[in-house]
Amino acid sequence: MAACFVTTHWSAVLSAGRSDTTRARGALEQLCRNYWQPLYAYVRRAGYSREEAEDLTQEFFARLLAQNIVARADPARGRFRSFLLASLKHFLANEWSKAHARKRGGGAQLLPLEFDTAETRCAQPVAPGDSPDRAFDRQWALALLEVVLGRLRQDYRSAGREPLFLGLKETLSGARPEIPYRDLAARLGLSEGAVKVAAHRLRRRYREFLREEVAHTVAAPDEVERELSQLFAALSA
Amino acid sequence: MHNAMLGLFNLGGVEIILLLSQLLVFGAGVLGFVLLIVWLVNRVAKPSAAAPPVHPPVVPPPPPSRTCPRCGLPLPVGAPEGLCPRCVMAAGLAAPTDAGEFGAHGRKAFQPPPSAADIAKHFPQLEILECLGRGGMGVVYKARQPKLNRLVALKILAPEKGADPKFAERFLREAQSLARLNHPNIVTVHDFGEADGLYYLLMEYVDGATLRQLLHSRKIAPEEALQIVPRICDALQFAHEQGIVHRDIKPENVLLDRQGRVKIADFGIAKLVGADSLQPVLTEEQAVIGTPHYMAPEQVEKPQLVDHRADIYSLGVVFYEMLTGELPLGKFEPPSKKVQVDVRLDEVVLRALEKEPARRYQHASQVKTDLETIAATPTPSPASG
Repeated sequence: MAACFVTTHWSAVLSAGRSDTTRARGALEQLCRNYWQPLYAYVRRAGYSREEAEDLTQEFFARLLAQNIVARADPARGRFRSFLLASLKHFLANEWSKAHARKRGGGAQLLPLEFDTAETRCAQPVAPGDSPDRAFDRQWALALLEVVLGRLRQDYRSAGREPLFLGLKETLSGARPEIPYRDLAARLGLSEGAVKVAAHRLRRRYREFLREEVAHTVAAPDEVERELSQLFAALSA
Repeated sequence: MHNAMLGLFNLGGVEIILLLSQLLVFGAGVLGFVLLIVWLVNRVAKPSAAAPPVHPPVVPPPPPSRTCPRCGLPLPVGAPEGLCPRCVMAAGLAAPTDAGEFGAHGRKAFQPPPSAADIAKHFPQLEILECLGRGGMGVVYKARQPKLNRLVALKILAPEKGADPKFAERFLREAQSLARLNHPNIVTVHDFGEADGLYYLLMEYVDGATLRQLLHSRKIAPEEALQIVPRICDALQFAHEQGIVHRDIKPENVLLDRQGRVKIADFGIAKLVGADSLQPVLTEEQAVIGTPHYMAPEQVEKPQLVDHRADIYSLGVVFYEMLTGELPLGKFEPPSKKVQVDVRLDEVVLRALEKEPARRYQHASQVKTDLETIAATPTPSPASG
């Protein structure tokens, strides 16, 4: 039986190594689209102004996607999250980067990043002891949840069951739904029992998607639970 | 000299008083003048105090922060789907057996597991490497036994159990029988005990993934399922012959190592921690309500009367899920109607899933025999659907 169980974005990128295959590139781009906000948060928390942070973030990704920085990624280290943070720190430490950050719109291939949302997100009151590293991990966890919940919602939408998702989404945080099950059932034309089963299925689907998405950012399946524990800890800090 | 000085000013008593009051008035005037200068200087130094402040660009002030009623943390601005990220993440971490719908009275139900450093204090004879995660039964850590130079898995059973004296007795009995399970398809228990109120099992470390992770990552081909299931049967048959029932067979408990070997974990643990039935076990922290999907009907209705055939039912559920990617819920269709598999497999799956224990396969070895027969003889005709 094959020992390699999982084909994920990050493992595809790592295994492509020096050869820039289209698939690896596509995988890397997808990862960047999903997880750029924590980088922006890190740069802002590190003291850069909003304008500087936007330029630096774009510049960082442009280089990441254009050059083969990933070829130097150590497969043993495993996680995309650690790789990205380490690369970003290296990038920021480089004086040349700071002085020559490409202005927005002037460079080649830029990712479509919504900086306004990111700025609102990280413009929270800074808790004492909140380092850029912590901000990074916390924002990463938020980005992950955004991707997962987005997929989940889309999943229900394409099955024509978005109202069900919206009615039950509170249960994902372990809370009771805003509308009691009975009323929700009446509204959706289902039995109360069916709605409860639907809630259970929603939670199950969410957990599946959560692990699938985390699997995309780690190199081996046994790292998923560890990564989840760490991200949970980041949200609790 | 005294006289000379006085004489110099030529002053009397009244004149002295007058002079003093003049000095006082003069001093007050100087003081007032100095204060005026200081005030003016301040005004000059901070002209913007007079001008309206410049607003920072665009970003509106964040709405008054709400706190999550469940865990008490403030809700961050832009929280995905408006839900508390910590609670959502916690719900994602919890295994199905302990992800009860609502924590008892909505209290804070989820805590991150103790760190490797915290645990290491209680196990000086081990090198705790990292936390591998938490399941329904407790938390598992990867560790090393320096003397034997081997990797092990340290499982700390749900810490809240430590307080229950009856638990200690049951734990000892169960752990002793588990230690007898020495089989290539069963995760070996090296040692067990209690350390500082923590009940633990020291087990074989399996470097690989669970069947659940495999099911998540991709569809399992029928041929693969047909390689995995017989190994589970071997494990079950062996344990059943020792008089041990697993009670919690599910994909999370089926481990596959990098060489493709199958190992069943957590034999008997479910009974130990009370997660083998639907009776809610109310701890301070959470209501443990098992997912009923892998449980045999008799396990749901009369848990105390369960025998080894409950494991066969659970095996049936797992088999069905491997073949179709779905659980056999309600009125479910036979596997060959859902995916391209040998129609003869339907019989095996359905017989394992019989609601009446007496109608089910009576031994795990029978399941394996039937599967081997099917694999050995060619398909009579292509499966429909």
